[in-house]
Amino acid sequence: MPDCGARTNRRSILDLLLGAGLLGWVGSVIFPVIRYLKPLGAQAQNGPVKLGAEDLAKLEKDHAVIVRAGAARIIVLEDANQRLHALSAKCTHEGCTVRYVPGDSVIWCACHNGRFDLDGRVLAGPPPRPLEKYACQREEGAVIVQLGRGPEAA
Amino acid sequence: MSAPTTEPQATEKGFYGWLDKRYGITPLIEFLKHKEVPVGAHSLLWYYLGGLTLFFFTIQLVSGVLLLAYYQAGETTSYESIRFLTTKVPFGWLVRSMHCWSAHLMILSLVTHMFSTMVLKAYRPPRELTWVTGFLLFALALGFGFSGYLLPWNELAFFATAVGTDSMKAVPVIGEWVMQVMRGGPDVSINTLYRFFALHVVVLPLFTVGIVAGHLIFIQRQGMAPPMAHQKAEKRGMKFFPDFALRDLLLWLICLIALASLAVFLPYGPGIPGMEWELGKKANPLAPAYPGIKPEWYFLWVYQLLKEFPPHLLGMEGPQAAIALVSVLFGIWALVPWLDRKARADRPSPAFTDLAMAALIFLAYLTMKAWDIGGGGAAQPDPRTVARICAYWGLLLAAATVVIRLLMHGAPYFDLTAAAALQIALHGLAGLPYLTAGAIVVALLAASLTWRVFRSRDAAHAAPGGQP
Repeated sequence: MPDCGARTNRRSILDLLLGAGLLGWVGSVIFPVIRYLKPLGAQAQNGPVKLGAEDLAKLEKDHAVIVRAGAARIIVLEDANQRLHALSAKCTHEGCTVRYVPGDSVIWCACHNGRFDLDGRVLAGPPPRPLEKYACQREEGAVIVQLGRGPEAA
Repeated sequence: MSAPTTEPQATEKGFYGWLDKRYGITPLIEFLKHKEVPVGAHSLLWYYLGGLTLFFFTIQLVSGVLLLAYYQAGETTSYESIRFLTTKVPFGWLVRSMHCWSAHLMILSLVTHMFSTMVLKAYRPPRELTWVTGFLLFALALGFGFSGYLLPWNELAFFATAVGTDSMKAVPVIGEWVMQVMRGGPDVSINTLYRFFALHVVVLPLFTVGIVAGHLIFIQRQGMAPPMAHQKAEKRGMKFFPDFALRDLLLWLICLIALASLAVFLPYGPGIPGMEWELGKKANPLAPAYPGIKPEWYFLWVYQLLKEFPPHLLGMEGPQAAIALVSVLFGIWALVPWLDRKARADRPSPAFTDLAMAALIFLAYLTMKAWDIGGGGAAQPDPRTVARICAYWGLLLAAATVVIRLLMHGAPYFDLTAAAALQIALHGLAGLPYLTAGAIVVALLAASLTWRVFRSRDAAHAAPGGQP
């Protein structure tokens, strides 16, 4: 029976090679597909964001405006004491865009009823984290938001 | 069907004979002639629901292809092309309305089909894979609804997709990757629409057609599941062709007329939140979510769960815990043919009928809450009042299922229905938080189950080999 054992060995080595080849083939197909589908990273924006004239008019009218900064959305709002606040506009619960409710001085997400104070802290509802806060000031009539965690961040 | 080994004898002339000589179709015709649908004490209605779902799916394919004649995916074209379609194109509004109505009716008939399969235990051996393929088709149908929602690129679509894709983050390890791949970027953008468009019109239809083929082949090979009592009693059947097929056709005709009437008289849906498709405003990523925003009705229970979960739970973030719970529930549902050991042994399994009823009550209560039933139409209704009024309706539903089951089967198992009802009562009437009520009920259920197991063991010890 030594012949038979040798044949089994040869067969199992061939099986191993075939299996490895198949795995390699699957990998070489799947890897490019996975890399292809994963979107390119958005260009991060770290510099200051200056509000345009249209944004300023909206801020004046609605006491709040949402502006884009790279991939992020930022809500800039003016409270009852004319102080400016800038926070991430993306609710930390499920990513809806929040709104400012001037009457209650809260930031509210209509999707699942999350409430935040003007520093971004969660007041009520299901959001698990506070909204990120950014430094924001008026400079010679313009409104400028500093991206990255500002000194006001909680 | 295996190919015939000998050349078929074509005795008939004409086209049939020509075809038969080449492809041997006589065995197929013989098979169809002998195919029967079991007839029993139960309502035959349940056997039509699968075919009805397939009928609505066919309407989706046809109306979907028609929509493609005008729809243009793009930041400046998606919304505009749908607006053009519904306002300018002759019968464009009708095609869109048919597509929307048929989508909702397809989900409705699919879910009813699934629940009837569950209650009739049609998933028991040898039909486990028919249940699994059916479950996959249910998941695909949800995928169709979710991806199709974004295509008009309106405000509602934008936030529904933002929430739906964001919940993917909850998946461990690969969640972030899945979310980015679905969105085509860190946030919902027009790139998301391109990906959803490909998914909605190519990927999902291909998978669906393939799995429907499997589902149907299984049913053709095994026949329709006879009801349990039927197996012991004398077998009765109805010829599939032409008796059952003609009834199928009649039902489809009736449903086509109903669909056309609904599409014509209510072109933007019945106006129930989660079942309306006014185009509304164009999506604007820089606009806040508007008050009263809600997903489609079959996602409302998940929407409400997301609201009920606290910010943090068991070391997870609230949404992550909610999605984990939904995944576990879906997992249990998919594995029912293996979990139901009594039905595997062809014995009645009232516990799983009870599971179906409890699921129905659980889903109905969350959906009613999401609809703000009892809120009096206020923009921000009092959540306690809504929870209470919905609890009355939920308890009424629970009572109705119990009465019907008692009258029909004298079913001796009501633990899960009782648990679902108790949770509703603790939350809606006693004012406990939804999850606290749920935890109490799960603890009670575990205690009751343990007690039952010990009692049955004691009974087995007391009467070894005897009647339980």
